Amino acid sequence: MKARAEALPTQEMLINMGPQHPSTHGVLRVILRTDGEVVVNARPDVGYLHRALEKIGERVTYAQFMPFTDRLDYLASMNCNAAWAWAVEKLAGIEVPERAEYIRVIVCELNRISSHLIAFGSFTADMGAFTPFLYAIRERERINDLFEEICGNRLTYNYVRIGGVSADLPDRFLEKTKEFLDYFDPKIPEYNDLISYNKIFVHRLANVAVATPEDAVAYGLTGPNLRGSGVRFDLRRNEPYSVYPKIDFDICVGTGERGTVGDCFDRYMVRINEMRESVKILRQAIAQIPDGPVMAKVPRVFKPPVGEVYFRAENPRGETGIYLISDGTVNPYRLKIRAPSFVTMNIFEKITRGLMIADIVAVIGSFDIILPEIDR
Amino acid sequence: MGFKAYLYDIWEAVATTAKGMRITARYGVDPRETITLQYPEERWEPSERYRGFLHNDIKRCTSCTMCVRVCPVDCISLEAVRGADKKMVLASYDINIGRCMYCGLCVEVCPPKSLVHTSGYEMATVSRGELILHFVPEDAETVKGRVAKQVAEAAAKAEAEKAKAEAEKGEAEKAAKPADAPQAPDPSPPPKPPREEAAPFIQPAAPAFAAGNPETADAAGKKPAKETEEEPAKAGDEGGEGKE
Amino acid sequence: MLESLAISLVDAVPVLSGVPLWTITLLIMVVVAAVVLTFALTYAGLATYVERKVAGDIQARIGPNRVGPVGILQFLADGIKLLLKEDIIPAKADRFLFVLAPYLVFIGSFAAFVVVPFGVGLIASDLNIGIYYVMAITSLVVVGVLVAGWASNNKWALLGGMRAAAQIVSYEIPVGMALLPAVLIAGSLSLQDIVRSQGGLFGIFGWNLFHNPFTFFSFFLYYVAALAETNRTPFDIPEAESELVAGYHVEYSGIRFAFFFLAEYGDMFVVSALATACFLGGWHVPFLNAEALPAVWGNLFSLGVFLGKALGLVVVMMWVRWTLPRLRVDQLMRMSWKYLVPLTFFNLLGVSLWLLLFQGRGIPQMIASLFG
Repeated sequence: MKARAEALPTQEMLINMGPQHPSTHGVLRVILRTDGEVVVNARPDVGYLHRALEKIGERVTYAQFMPFTDRLDYLASMNCNAAWAWAVEKLAGIEVPERAEYIRVIVCELNRISSHLIAFGSFTADMGAFTPFLYAIRERERINDLFEEICGNRLTYNYVRIGGVSADLPDRFLEKTKEFLDYFDPKIPEYNDLISYNKIFVHRLANVAVATPEDAVAYGLTGPNLRGSGVRFDLRRNEPYSVYPKIDFDICVGTGERGTVGDCFDRYMVRINEMRESVKILRQAIAQIPDGPVMAKVPRVFKPPVGEVYFRAENPRGETGIYLISDGTVNPYRLKIRAPSFVTMNIFEKITRGLMIADIVAVIGSFDIILPEIDR
Repeated sequence: MGFKAYLYDIWEAVATTAKGMRITARYGVDPRETITLQYPEERWEPSERYRGFLHNDIKRCTSCTMCVRVCPVDCISLEAVRGADKKMVLASYDINIGRCMYCGLCVEVCPPKSLVHTSGYEMATVSRGELILHFVPEDAETVKGRVAKQVAEAAAKAEAEKAKAEAEKGEAEKAAKPADAPQAPDPSPPPKPPREEAAPFIQPAAPAFAAGNPETADAAGKKPAKETEEEPAKAGDEGGEGKE
Repeated sequence: MLESLAISLVDAVPVLSGVPLWTITLLIMVVVAAVVLTFALTYAGLATYVERKVAGDIQARIGPNRVGPVGILQFLADGIKLLLKEDIIPAKADRFLFVLAPYLVFIGSFAAFVVVPFGVGLIASDLNIGIYYVMAITSLVVVGVLVAGWASNNKWALLGGMRAAAQIVSYEIPVGMALLPAVLIAGSLSLQDIVRSQGGLFGIFGWNLFHNPFTFFSFFLYYVAALAETNRTPFDIPEAESELVAGYHVEYSGIRFAFFFLAEYGDMFVVSALATACFLGGWHVPFLNAEALPAVWGNLFSLGVFLGKALGLVVVMMWVRWTLPRLRVDQLMRMSWKYLVPLTFFNLLGVSLWLLLFQGRGIPQMIASLFG
């Protein structure tokens, strides 16, 4: 909805939204040029959380970099762990035991649920409804309990290892996961009743910040943001890795059910629906998981062959790509991480033109960006 | 917008609001839905694999420095000297838990499994220095001095026993100066061990590529030996109590 | 009224006969004002506690529970904290206006308590233009908010102030029009008269809420519009924590912030009290004629009933707040001008026609007359 501003000549106002702002999800700074409430231009300014993770990657060994991937996207540490492991294994040609791959898929999908829960919760909190956030946190705590059981930490898991996972699943873990899924399944319709289809919520999001499918592809959106624009692309399907080919699930795409395809509401609904799909994947993985070892034979002094590799994994926020050049030593020669949130910020300026200040918050929330990943 | 759509709009707003309010009301009145844990009084049980503060059982520690090498953030510093019986004696073993990121890599590589995660997660200090856990209760200098003395005594005894063997003499002298033992990767001055705060990611000069690959560069102290009987054992007891 | 009270006091206590009447009247006024203010502040403090408890319950938490039994003294702790906090005035703020703004807001909100009919005889001042007075004095709040937004010299605050001005000006109209049916039925602007007009019929079927279908809708329209006037979620765009950080009071701290905070809760009560008085029969006790009781009991009963009704509405406001997301500023305007204003106008028309057609009798009255 574009407001007309030609009636009265007014002065533009320059506002800094962030780096300290309640709904920029961290230390994102958006430089707003506004005409009253209407945003003329919104330019994201990133880099406040830069920790030189890629450079650190060149100074530590392949195994030592694993804890740093936790800090890449701290809401989806397992996915980042696994992406790193898959990349290095692809580089070194390590065959991972099947049980380990299943465990990875299980923890990744659990982590996807917990990450989408935070996306859902913080998004609704941005929209002014704080209660769903606490419900989301409550569900996420149960996932954290599960993760604590398998790896001992609740946020930065560092569970996946090159060649497998650090430890086999504890007793009753699969049963507990099933219990969680049974508990969690009915919560999704409840969220929908509570907030998703709330009139105010729908009105705030429908037709706001539409990323057309062409734009979305051109600007390199990935993951739920791309699928929200109606593009049926999911790396788990289109470029299958791990044991995903053996698992049956749907790719959720935005349908424009309340507005235009690719608006904030579609991006939001894709995440809600993906939680359902993750539950589906988890149920299958739990049913299929074989017995066996969880760690391949990897030499203690791990020196991958000279070469380079690009591996991309479907993380909750999109395609996390890891580009590695190995010179045959124990450290990577060069490490480049393609962070989905960072790429997402490209389109920000384009689709926020002419929106209102309140919509900027909605756009940030609907993209579900995470700052440590943007800045790395 | 037609009149019908107008009315439908109003109806939808009322209906969806009522739906949401029914859910919040259910949570509001149902006491079973309260999930808060009253923290200081009620606690949750950390799982078996919980990665809390690190603890090193120095009685079992073999000073192999694997943990030091594998630590991505260099939060462990270790100093060891070669004792009279050719086994390594810990002079100091400090973990800066202010810097530790609880990744657990050090625990995984520890050969004698002396380094473990406890389930402790509560700590508050007023200065950063207190965040450095010292596992050897004595001063590093004291340990070194004592070990040096023992080594010297042992050497002297050996000398007395085989006075005629002159070849050993030189070696004993060499062993009497163990301060520059090659095991500790950071040759920082002994009294205040982790002083290299400024550059957390700079590895010690020599094994830039070897860091984190425990097997490459531990020349000495490889064998998980049983503890030397005398002082370190006693020290370990005290240390264990002091730290928990 | 106060003067008559003073006269009766002088009659009762002969010692006072030497004192000029105006002094006694003034004294009584001060005492009444102090009582009302004390009530208002205590209510506001407890309301913050209740709000946090309600929020906690809804969000599957506990809420404050450390200070005093079940945390009931939390509001005192908060108040003391706010009193002791450093009072920061930004360097580039307009000092005079910055200092003035909280008082304007506070006065605007709490002066309305004067005409709230708490009971049969419990009203600080039964103005014959009661509703008019409330509407006027609560509009002072918007001046304070605008002044606060401007004086802070902060862009977020300014945006919040502008939003508040636009919002409150827009919502005055539906609020006024939604209240008018009650005025029409009672034929008076005095809140006490409006409440009295709702008596009879077991003290519950005389309520304006059940008078006719139009008044029934009027109540809900008023409630929604008034919710917007108090700047509470889903209409809290002037504060809009996730957008404007804290809106117009972003630069305020300590006791000045507390004034804004108390004013918000004061507003909530005034709005609920007005809804109670105009639509929910005010202090009329169901199945009991409070006016026929002895003065003390009648007043106590009616006070309890009135507070029960009004505070119930306040709790509903909290419930709404913790359920709904926030509207956008343009949607808020659209809601007022495209939905609330036409609907309230239509309602007003309906009520007028109803009164004309049925000689001012409501549906319950007609049903009652059927049975004799």
